[in-house]
Amino acid sequence: MSAQTADVVVIGAGVLGGAAAFHLALGGHRVIVLDRGAPGREGSGTTAGNLHVQAVHTRRPGQEVPLDSARFLPLQRAASDRWNSVEAELEASVELRRSGGFTIAETPEQRAELIAKHAWEERAGIRTEVLDGDGARAALPLLGPTVTAATWCPLDGYANPLLTTPAYLAAAVRHGARLHPFCPVRAVERSGSGWRVTAGDLTVEAPHVVDVAGPWLGEIAALAGIGLRMTPVAIQMHVTVRLPETLRYLVQHIGEGLSVKQVTAGNLLIGGGWPALRLDPDGRSPVSLSSVLGNVAQAARVLPFVRDLRLLRTWAGPLAATPDEMPVIGEVPGAPGFLVAGGTYAFTFAPLWGETLRCLVEGKPAPVDVRDLGPDRLLEPAAPAAPYEEAR
Amino acid sequence: MTASRDVLVVGGGPAGLSAAARLAAAGLGVTLVDEQPELGGQYYRRPSPAVLREHGDHRPEGGRLIAHVRSLGVDCLTGHLVWGVDDDGRTLLATGPDGTPVRLRARHVIVATGAYERTHPFPGWQLPGVTTPGFAQHLAAADGTPPGRRVLVAGSGPFLLPVACSLLAAGADVVGVAEAGHPYRPSLRAAPALRHPARLRELAGYVARLARARVPLWQGRVVNGAAGGDRVTSVTLAATVDPGRPLRTLDVDALCVGYGFRPQTELARLLGCEISADAVTGDAEPVTDAFGRTSRPGVYVVGEAAGVGGVHRARVRGAMAAAHILLREGSPAAPGPREIARLAAQGRALTRFTAMSDALYPSPARLQEVLAATLDDDTIVCRCEAVTAAAVRSAAAERAGGDLNAAKSWSRAGMGPCQGRFCGFAVAGLVRDAAEAPPAGGARCGVPVFPARQPVRPVPVETLLALGEQDGGDG
Repeated sequence: MSAQTADVVVIGAGVLGGAAAFHLALGGHRVIVLDRGAPGREGSGTTAGNLHVQAVHTRRPGQEVPLDSARFLPLQRAASDRWNSVEAELEASVELRRSGGFTIAETPEQRAELIAKHAWEERAGIRTEVLDGDGARAALPLLGPTVTAATWCPLDGYANPLLTTPAYLAAAVRHGARLHPFCPVRAVERSGSGWRVTAGDLTVEAPHVVDVAGPWLGEIAALAGIGLRMTPVAIQMHVTVRLPETLRYLVQHIGEGLSVKQVTAGNLLIGGGWPALRLDPDGRSPVSLSSVLGNVAQAARVLPFVRDLRLLRTWAGPLAATPDEMPVIGEVPGAPGFLVAGGTYAFTFAPLWGETLRCLVEGKPAPVDVRDLGPDRLLEPAAPAAPYEEAR
Repeated sequence: MTASRDVLVVGGGPAGLSAAARLAAAGLGVTLVDEQPELGGQYYRRPSPAVLREHGDHRPEGGRLIAHVRSLGVDCLTGHLVWGVDDDGRTLLATGPDGTPVRLRARHVIVATGAYERTHPFPGWQLPGVTTPGFAQHLAAADGTPPGRRVLVAGSGPFLLPVACSLLAAGADVVGVAEAGHPYRPSLRAAPALRHPARLRELAGYVARLARARVPLWQGRVVNGAAGGDRVTSVTLAATVDPGRPLRTLDVDALCVGYGFRPQTELARLLGCEISADAVTGDAEPVTDAFGRTSRPGVYVVGEAAGVGGVHRARVRGAMAAAHILLREGSPAAPGPREIARLAAQGRALTRFTAMSDALYPSPARLQEVLAATLDDDTIVCRCEAVTAAAVRSAAAERAGGDLNAAKSWSRAGMGPCQGRFCGFAVAGLVRDAAEAPPAGGARCGVPVFPARQPVRPVPVETLLALGEQDGGDG
């Protein structure tokens, strides 16, 4: 089959792929989006959908290094602003809810961290409020007696990930992008001044490749002869049966991996990055019972009403983490036209990264300075490129 | 509390009881765990004491088998729901009747979790008075109460006949039996049944009983819709070949409709057993050999959970798994080669009978196709989450690329408390129907079933907290 041409090949039809394809197609670029399976079925389909606007410098259980919260905050501020226009841009509801959130502390050390975090937030222009334990319980009577302090951020929120990625992809397709699900990429090669991507029985030539393959970001880069150190993990989520509207806010913990919120359907979603039993790149990663017990026990301690609920389901999904826990976004040095984007908190950053990737493709200034977040810091000697199936 | 034994049998129906009896008789320590307050499973479900006094025991062999198992000292944990698997991939997690969590460990695990009834939605299927045949059978045989006075029995499969007879015995007026296929007519396909005289006598008995009561037996008919206010008052039938076009309407106050059974495989899958789609039924089944061995060493799946085949086959499969475990344990009571050969021959004969019987009735995969293609857009398919056929179709066609689990994500069908047990068959049919031809070179989920997720049933958070405390911490 003769090669098709495009301006940009987006590899990965998750939330980042959808957002990038949307912004690129909106800008008049001819975009082809490829995915190994059904769109939005990995990290983007398994995430909790939290919009993290106040500083998130807690560690997931098992996370080795903290992320740089102070560096993160201006990005969060910019990402937060962009979420306000997502539903209008996409002409679709994503169940966006900006009802605010609490980050709670239970120990004196955690309380001190909250106060430090509050100062960084002020500098970044993110309004937060520090409350003592009783103040927090006055604001949210559902909080339990172990809570000694909390910060309140009115910008925290939620969007339904199961609506967001399809809405981005549908909007991208409306603007002319072509989506090819179940089309695993087999080869990525230099071709003239651009790239040739072979996927399924499709061959596409394009000056730009955007690798937003989530947990497979490194493997796709390896196909192009680029070695990137990524550290994907699988984390798990817990959902209770539906209950009447009880909790309007996102509740997070400053010292432990914990996030709790009630979704629009009424179920309570409990997460916080607890590790699954293992990352299974070819199927669904199996959940770990000890993570179920640990995460649910935290939730029931911080929000005692959780004790009276029933756990409905658990699941795990991949998280495309980097070794330094910071996002990665930018062009790969020495591989002109090959861009990558990924890392943790990709859901919160998707609207911002979509716009940023378009600017990077067009060679225009990005809406936020991301020069220090480029892939150069993750480069390592490339492993010999293996065919895709073998690489898996 | 942790119970550690030689063998753990999950499911106290015919297969599980047969395995437990054989193993305990050979002196092994056996724990038999069942969700219900009494052993027996669905088939040997014990009638209520009042019904026993008045009508006697409709399946006395079940009562004898249960008494035998108890007399052998099998540790019977009734009222215990097995809902998950621990991080070692072997220890099972259960909740006792009072909510106490229990960990269950054994060198050998026999999964005998039985089957679900195969339901398919139609307009009006949520009306009070509409039940599955299994539920009607349970009401009629165990409680002596039919689900209504004027009852239509519909769907497909041999099970519809004994259900209609039980309803008659319980005093109902059975207005008819509507079978989707044409199994009850002379056919060359039925000739191999002559080698199973006992089964044929059983079938002839049901047909004669229905004929004596002048119950019409319609073939090639499916339920097209039900109507009513507070409860169902009428049912419309259509030809199976054209299920969208109503043929006749019947006045009823109850409707029992179902298309046979499909294996309940969640626990086997949580244990990591490989599954595949059955060529005839299209159902996801654990891959097992004649002994019920799975891809996971020490894990056996027997009975309906390994593929629906009826009570006789379930009992032989249970006995075969027990025989293999006794051989592995080097038990002096292990069966000799002749007994193994005899059991295996019995198993093969019953497997052939199942295949023959399956061939007489429309294949579930074919029914799924026909029923899904004509299902009305406005019909609620997933009752837990109130998802219509239209919503599943559009999710499957526009966003899921034919992937069942993606269709679940995008439509919410199967996300509610029943976890897709009721709607799974219909949703899979709608997704298959809505999906375009698979793209060349495309990889796709091959098994037509929602992924198994723990907890298998909703579990109280209090139970999880108690389990965490057993581990010696608050998590």
